[in-house]
Parts: sequence; structure tokens; C-alpha cells
Amino acid sequence: MPAAAKPKAKPPARGASKKGAARKRAAPAASLAGALAEAAWAEADLALAEALAYLDEAQGAGDQAAYADVLELVAQSLSRAARKRGLARLGKLGAREAYDANLHDLNGAGSRPPKTVRVEARGVARGGDVLVKTRVGRLGAPKRP
Amino acid sequence: MTDWTLCIDFGTAYSKAAAAPADAWSRFEPSMVRPLMLSGHHHHGNPFLLDSAVFVDEGRVLFGRAAIARADALGDKKRMALKSFKTLLSVSDLDRALNTNAPLSIDPHRIFQMRDLIVLYLAFLLEAVEQACAADTLVAGATRMSRRYAAPAWRSGDSAGMHQVIVQLFGEAEAFRALVGKKLMSPDGLPLSTISSALPKALANARAMDIGLIFEATAAAAYTSVGLEDAGSHLIVVDMGAGTTDIAALARVGARTIELPEARVTMKQAGDFIDRIIANLVIENASWARSKDDQSELWNVLMRQMRDIKESVFADGRATLRHRGKNITLSMRDIERDADFKAFYKNLSEAFAHGLMVVRGDAVLRGQTEVQAIAVGGGAAAPFIQGLLKKKTTRATPRVVARPATPDWAHAREFQGNLAPVFPQLAISIGGALAPDDMLAARGGVSPVAAVRTDIEAAPD
Ligand SMILES: Nc1ncnc2c1ncn2[C@@H]1O[C@H](COP(=O)(O)OP(=O)(O)OP(=O)(O)O)[C@@H](O)[C@H]1O
Ligand SMILES: [Mg+2]
Repeated sequence: MPAAAKPKAKPPARGASKKGAARKRAAPAASLAGALAEAAWAEADLALAEALAYLDEAQGAGDQAAYADVLELVAQSLSRAARKRGLARLGKLGAREAYDANLHDLNGAGSRPPKTVRVEARGVARGGDVLVKTRVGRLGAPKRP
Repeated sequence: MTDWTLCIDFGTAYSKAAAAPADAWSRFEPSMVRPLMLSGHHHHGNPFLLDSAVFVDEGRVLFGRAAIARADALGDKKRMALKSFKTLLSVSDLDRALNTNAPLSIDPHRIFQMRDLIVLYLAFLLEAVEQACAADTLVAGATRMSRRYAAPAWRSGDSAGMHQVIVQLFGEAEAFRALVGKKLMSPDGLPLSTISSALPKALANARAMDIGLIFEATAAAAYTSVGLEDAGSHLIVVDMGAGTTDIAALARVGARTIELPEARVTMKQAGDFIDRIIANLVIENASWARSKDDQSELWNVLMRQMRDIKESVFADGRATLRHRGKNITLSMRDIERDADFKAFYKNLSEAFAHGLMVVRGDAVLRGQTEVQAIAVGGGAAAPFIQGLLKKKTTRATPRVVARPATPDWAHAREFQGNLAPVFPQLAISIGGALAPDDMLAARGGVSPVAAVRTDIEAAPD
């Protein structure tokens, strides 16, 4: 149990807290959806801002290796922003899947859609909603860049 | 609807709380599930997570995010914020642990016992819950609020004993909160003088707290099966938080959900442990960081970004960190090759296999053909945990079905996609608020809100 305090004069540094008081979260959780969105966007915003900064760096990269290094960071920040907003990748690069017109965008021409396709670029979904279909190609077809 | 249920999940790293209408179990509606903004008063960081931390400063005590920020700002190795104190509650001689003096690095004034600091934190937590309830348009209209807290089923057979001690701590915290009120949320913390006058009074006059206990695993079962016609009869839960990884199994018998205690395992390795593995691996590989100063700088940089690093490693198999203009990359494979990780993983998979054997055995006895497996907690997405859930079993029945860490209802339109990403971490508090009373491990009663919401000046009842 605490004995009588001997408060010394030095108050703790307040750092960001002063600013915090001024810019408290706007409306107090009027809607939960709004609060959830605000929280998710705050984190996603930061990741997007990072991605933009790295993108500039990538465009100014002196050589291929430096470019690849920064591109990796751009990709990572973008993925993070997407995750914070509940977006998830669909499928696995290079995987074979049964063709499904609801999920797949078929690359290349051809009269009939094939039974099995290969994932060339992953799609993006949120929960059950497909935002971008998975780009797939025919097996044996030359890979598109 | 004016009857509500509130569940507090006092976590090793973060506390969480959620409320739901008292009849949510039988009349489930996702939009009525209310995770509470315990850190709504902060302008950065996740508003649903309240950092479990206390910092004893020169003349005051700081709580939550402010405590961590202050300890960071001081950057003094000999001074630390008290964190992970939840693990203290799991020891067998709880009274003795609570009556221990706080270490010097935590309390340089040598005035606090662990009990004092825990009571202070719980008072801060209760005040945060109070303010978050008031700020939520739906919850604020509650006329009755029944409360429970979630805890792991730590001590086999003696959860009743533990429950009594924790209810007492909550009662003391509530008494302290009644004396100090909103000042608990001040970003500058509480003056030591306020504490030394109010805390002894609070400890001597604990309030009677009506608060039930729900096992964390049971809470997980509740949110997984709520509103489902085809909810499974048997469930195995892996909860990897910051301080512990807990495995528990549940069976539904008629209308009741019972825990199968033989399946229960708690490991002291979880998120914090993975953090240390990652930081050590990176530092070992950073050949340019050989001096003590370089290494401790790198350690701090890593720890500040650790959650993002883990998230990337778990989701994409690797994470890249930019430090002093160089990329440092770490992959899940690197972690899997680490000796400490291997030992942990071996224990974890053995514990899981054992739990699975118990729950499948029970399913067979009760003529059931399916066991569901689910991961919760901040580490739910870890591929090594998801891998365990999906591992093929040697015998085909009862079959094991892995359930997603985020239930379908958390993707409901009204959440606009923003509940799902944070769901696993909030899951226990949400499940605990949804669970019907007969899922409780120990009961608490219902208290009229007037008593729950005590402001500083409220007349004594
Ligand atoms: N998206 C994520 N990816 C990976 N790890 C995460 C993520 N979010 C949180 N974590 C980690 O999860 C842990 C916190 O999880 P959680 O809030 O479930 O723990 P807790 O309830 O405080 O602890 P415990 O259950 O052990 O008492 C921390 O180690 C944190 O770094
Ligand atoms: Mg937890």
C-alpha cells in the first residue's frame, strides 16, 4: 500500500497528449461501423502513405537491385493497407483451379472455357464479395508477363 | 432492448471489452454486437484495444498507452512499465503473488505491492469501459448491465477459488474508481498523492461486484456457434495471445456447453515469445550491427514495428524492414528453423494432438461425427497454427473441420468490412458478451446500471 506521497515537482513530458486533447476522435462512436471504419482507415492510411513514399523512391532507383528492394516495400505496404480494410487475396499464384466464371477472368482468346486453369494474378475479395476476379490462363498457354 | 451483457477480456498485452443485448444468444443480430472503444480517448492506435500497462513515474502513475509512451520516452533500462501482469493471476499461490512488492525497476518509490498496481489498472479498465459504454449510442441506453470477465481455465479444479480473488480485486478497483472517477483517464495519469489517499480506502471498502467468469475458450465457442443452426457439438480452440497460448476443448451436451478439462493446456510462449525470436534472428543476421548500441537501437526499431512485421510474415510468408537505408528481410522459414521456435512448435503440436484426441474421444462417446477447430487471439492467423487446425488426422472419424478465425457474421454488410480484420483479437470479449448465462464457469448476478455507473459524486448506496 502506498505511503504518503512525496510528489516531486517534475511533471511527466506530455508529448503528443496535448495535441491529442485538441484533436480527439471526432464524434463519439455515433455508429460502430463508423468507428470501426475510422480505426481501420487510420492504419490503412499510414500504410498507403508509406507505399507512396516508397513508390517515389522506386522511380528514382539507380539500378535494378535497388528498384527491386524498394518495390518489395511498396508491395508490403499496399498489402498491409488492404488487410487493414479487410481485403484478402484469392487463390495462389501458379495454382491450378477448376474454372469458375464467377471467380475467374480468363486470359487469352478461345471459344470454350477450359475445365482447369492456372492462376496468373490473384484476385481480391472482402468476406464473400469478390472485388477483383482472379486472372487465370489456360494450361500450357504461354505465361503472360 | 434495455438488458445488456458486458464482457471484459483482460489480456496480457491488451484489454478488450464488448457488449451485446442480453437475449443476443437466442435472437442474434450482428449489428447489435458492440465492441467497445476502450481507447476512444486516444487519437492514434486501435481504439478497441486498451494497453495492459502501468507506469509508476516520479510523482504519478500512468496507465495504458500513456504508460508505455512514458516508459519509451524515458528510455531508461532500469525503469520499466508493468506489463503482462495478467500472467500473475495464473500462479497457484495467488494471494502471495499479489502481496509481493513490485520490483524496483517498476516502482522506484518502493510503495506498491503487485496487488495495488493490479487494482489501479483494473480501476482504469473499469473507467475506460464505463466511458466507452456511455459513448456507444446503443449501449448507453442500457438500463441493466450484467457483467462477466473472460479468463483462461488456469487452475484445474480451482477456478472458483481464483474467481473469488479476482472478483475481490475488481471490487477494490470499483471502489477506487468511485473515489477517483474520470481522473483515471487523464493522459497525465494520477498523482501519487491521490492514490495514497484513495487506495487504502478502496482496499478497505471493496464494493460487492456482480461479475461472472467465462472461460476464454467458451467465449470462443459462443461467437463461433452463435446464430448457427448447424453449430457443431464439439470444438477445439487454440488461443495465441501475447502471453500465453491456450488450448481448450468444449462439448455441447443438450443445451449446455461443457469444457473438457483433460484437453486443457496453457503454454507460456505466445506472441511476446515470437517477438523475441524474430528480433534475435534479425539482429544475429545484421552483420553491420555488432556494437551494443547498434543492436539495442535495432531491437527498439523492431519492437516498435513488431505487430506489422508479424502480420506480414504470417500473411505473406515474409516481411521487409527498412533500417538505415537498407532492407532487412525475414521469412517464416527463418522462424521455423529457429531452435526455440522448434521446441515451442513441438510442444504446441503435441498439446494440440492431445486435445484433439480428448475431444474426438468425447465426440465418439456422444455419437457425434464432427469436431470443429478454431484459432483465436492476435496470433490466430499464424500459418503454423492454421496448419495444425487443418492437419490430416490418421483416423477419418470424427472428422476435424477448421473454422475460420473470423465468423461469417463478422463480414456482415453493416460493418463495411472493418470488423473482420480486428475480429480475432476482439473475439473473446465478443463471444463472452454473446454467451448465455449457462455457459459461465462462475456466476455473477445482474446489477442495475445505477450501481454500475458510479460517478465520483454519487451518493453512497
Ligand atoms: N494482425 C496480427 N498479426 C500477427 N500478430 C498480431 C496481430 N495482431 C496482434 N498480434 C499479436 O497478438 C498479440 C496480442 O494478442 P491478444 O490481444 O490476443 O493478446 P492478449 O489477449 O493480450 O494476451 P493473452 O491472451 O495471452 O492474455 C501480440 O503479440 C500482438 O503482436
Ligand atoms: Mg487473450
